[in-house]
Amino acid sequence: MAKQTIISISREFGSGGHEIAEKIAQHLGLKFYDRSMLDEIANKLNVKVEVLEKYDEAPRNFLMTRRVGNHTNSMAEILAEYQFDFIRDKAASGESFVIVGRCSETVLKNHDCLISIFVNGDREHKLARVKEKYQLSESEAVAKMLRHDKKRKLYHNRHSDYKWGDSRYYDLCINSSPLGVDKTAHVLECYIQDRMAAMK
Amino acid sequence: MNLAQILALILFIAMFVLIVMDKIERHYVTMACGVLTLAGVFGLAMRSTDAIMETLNVKSIFTVGFWYAAGTAEESTAGINWATIIFIAGMMVMVEGMAESGFFRWLCMKLAKLVHYKPIPLFITFMLMSAFLAMFIDSITVILFLAAVTIELAKLLKFDPVPMILSEIFCANLGGSATMCGDPPNIIIGTSLGYSFADFITNTGAIAAISLVLVVIYYFFVFRKELAGEKLSQADVDAMPDPKEAITNKTAFAISCLIFLCAVVLLVTHAQTGLTVAFIGTVIAAITLLVAGTKAVKLLKKVDYKTLLFFVGLFMVVGGLEQTGILEIIAGFIGNVSHGNLKLMVAIILWVSAIASAFVDNIPFAATMIPVIKSLAATQGVDLSTLAWALSMGTDIGGSATPIGASANVVGTSVATKNGYIIGWGKYCKSAAPATVIVILVSMVFIFIRYC
Repeated sequence: MAKQTIISISREFGSGGHEIAEKIAQHLGLKFYDRSMLDEIANKLNVKVEVLEKYDEAPRNFLMTRRVGNHTNSMAEILAEYQFDFIRDKAASGESFVIVGRCSETVLKNHDCLISIFVNGDREHKLARVKEKYQLSESEAVAKMLRHDKKRKLYHNRHSDYKWGDSRYYDLCINSSPLGVDKTAHVLECYIQDRMAAMK
Repeated sequence: MNLAQILALILFIAMFVLIVMDKIERHYVTMACGVLTLAGVFGLAMRSTDAIMETLNVKSIFTVGFWYAAGTAEESTAGINWATIIFIAGMMVMVEGMAESGFFRWLCMKLAKLVHYKPIPLFITFMLMSAFLAMFIDSITVILFLAAVTIELAKLLKFDPVPMILSEIFCANLGGSATMCGDPPNIIIGTSLGYSFADFITNTGAIAAISLVLVVIYYFFVFRKELAGEKLSQADVDAMPDPKEAITNKTAFAISCLIFLCAVVLLVTHAQTGLTVAFIGTVIAAITLLVAGTKAVKLLKKVDYKTLLFFVGLFMVVGGLEQTGILEIIAGFIGNVSHGNLKLMVAIILWVSAIASAFVDNIPFAATMIPVIKSLAATQGVDLSTLAWALSMGTDIGGSATPIGASANVVGTSVATKNGYIIGWGKYCKSAAPATVIVILVSMVFIFIRYC
C-alpha cells in the first residue's frame, strides 16, 4: 500500500492554482477536495450548501461577531472549524488527497506526509485569466482579484501563525505565469513524485 | 488635559478597540494595557507609587472588612476589585462541580418531562428556568446547557429550537439583572458601591420580575406560530431520554445540589450575616473542592483563568481613568447636560448604557461607569443607588439587543449555529431588540415612579 500523501495547494486568485491542483489530483490518482467539502458539511448540518458558500474561506466580521472562550457566533469561523475538522478527519483516516486552500497547510502542519505548495502569478497574467474566465472588464477583474486575495489573506492570517504566501512556511512556492497551468502542474508533479519516493 | 490623562485615555481606547478586533485574546489585551497603565500613567506621567498601590488594591484583601462586614455591606476602594474576582472564581469552581455531576442536564430534562414535552409549556418553562438559574449562576453556563438540551429536544420532537434559544438568552440576561451575583456588571456595582443581595433583589429584582412577565407574553406572541408543532404520541414521549441518565454520579449530584442551595442561602442572607461575597465565593469553592476529592485538580483546571485575568487587567485600566480624573470629567459632562435633573440623569445613564452594551462588552462599560455615577452623585447631590440601578439595568439588558451584546448571546447563537440553526443579526434582533426596548422602558418608568 502506497504511503499517505497530502498535497496542500494555496493560491493567489487568478494564478490557476485551483486548476493546477485539480490536474495534479487527476494525474496522480488522488482524491481532490476544494469547495466540494461544503456539500458534506451542509449535509451534516442539514442546511443548504448555498448558505455556507458565502462564508467559505471568508474572514470573520470583527464588528458584527464576537468570541467568548471557545464559542464564536461568526458563521465564517464556525464553518472554518468544521472544514478544519473535515480536513483532520480525512488526514487521520489515512487517505491521500489534494486539497485547495482552507488553511490546510496550517491545519495539517504536523503531518509528515504533507507537501505544501503556494501558487502565485504575475499580475497581468492573473488579470487576463480572470477577465477571460469570468467575462469581466479590466476594472471589474482588478476589483474581483483584489477582493478575493484580501479575503483569502485575512482568512488565512486569522487561522495561522504565519502570513499567507510567506515562502518560509511552504515547501514550494511557484509562479504559474512563465510556464502556464499545464507545465506548472507538470513541474509540481515531478516534485511531488520525488517527495513521495523520498517518503517511502 | 495633562499627559497622564491623555495616556490613560489612549490605553483605555486601545483596550476597547483591541477587544472588539479580537486578534489577541482579551485577557492579554487588558493585562498588557493594565501593566502599561501602571508603568506609563502612574509611573512615568504621575510618578505616583500611591496611585499604583491604590490601583493594585492588594492591601484590601488582608483587611477584615474584605471578608466580614458586620452591620454594613462591604465597599471596595478604587482599583482592582478583588472581591468581584474572588467571588467569580469561587462560583466558577461551584458551577464546574455542578456540571460535572450532570445537574444542569438533569434539571432541563426533568422539567421537559414534567410539562410532557409540549412545545408551548416547554417554551415558557425554559424561559422561567433560564431567568431563575441566571439569578445565581453565570448566564454563559445557563445558556450553554439550556441551548444544548433545547436542540436535543428539538431534534427529537421535531420543532424549531431557534425561538426557544432566543427567548432563553433574553431571559438569562434578564434573570442576571435581578441579583447582585447574576451578571458581572452587578457584581462589580454591588462590591464597588457596597450594595447587598437584598438591595438588588428589591430594586433591579422587582424591575426584572415585572419585565419577565411582559417578556414571556411578548415572546409567546412573537413565536406562537413557530411553537405550534406536531402533536406528540405516547411513543414519542416514551422515546425521550430519562432525566436520570443525565446524572453521572448520584453522590456528587446530591452534594452539588446542596452546595448550590448553600450558596443561594449565603448570598440571600449576606447583608444579615455580614459575610462578604468574597468570603462566600471562597467558602463555596473550598467546599466544592473538598468534596470533589481527587477530582479537585480537574475542577481547578477547568476554571476560566483567562476571564479572571481579563478582570484584573480591566480594573487596572479603569483605575488609570479614575486616578487621572478622566471619569470625573465625564461625570461633570453628564451633570451639565442634565442640569442636575435626576430624571434626565437616569434616562441618560440607562439609555447610553443600554445602547453601548448592545455593541460593546458590558463589563468594561460598567466598570468604567461606576466611578462616573459615584462622582455624579457626589457633585449633583443625587441618590447614588438610583443611578446604580439605572446603570445595572442599562448594562445588563442593553446587551440583550444584539448577538454580540452579552456573553450569553454569543454562546447561545454559537451553539445553535454549530448545530445548523444559523442565527444571524436579522433573525436575532427582530425579536430581541424590541424586547430590550420594552425592558429598558419598564426600567425607566419604574425608576422614575419609585425614586424620582
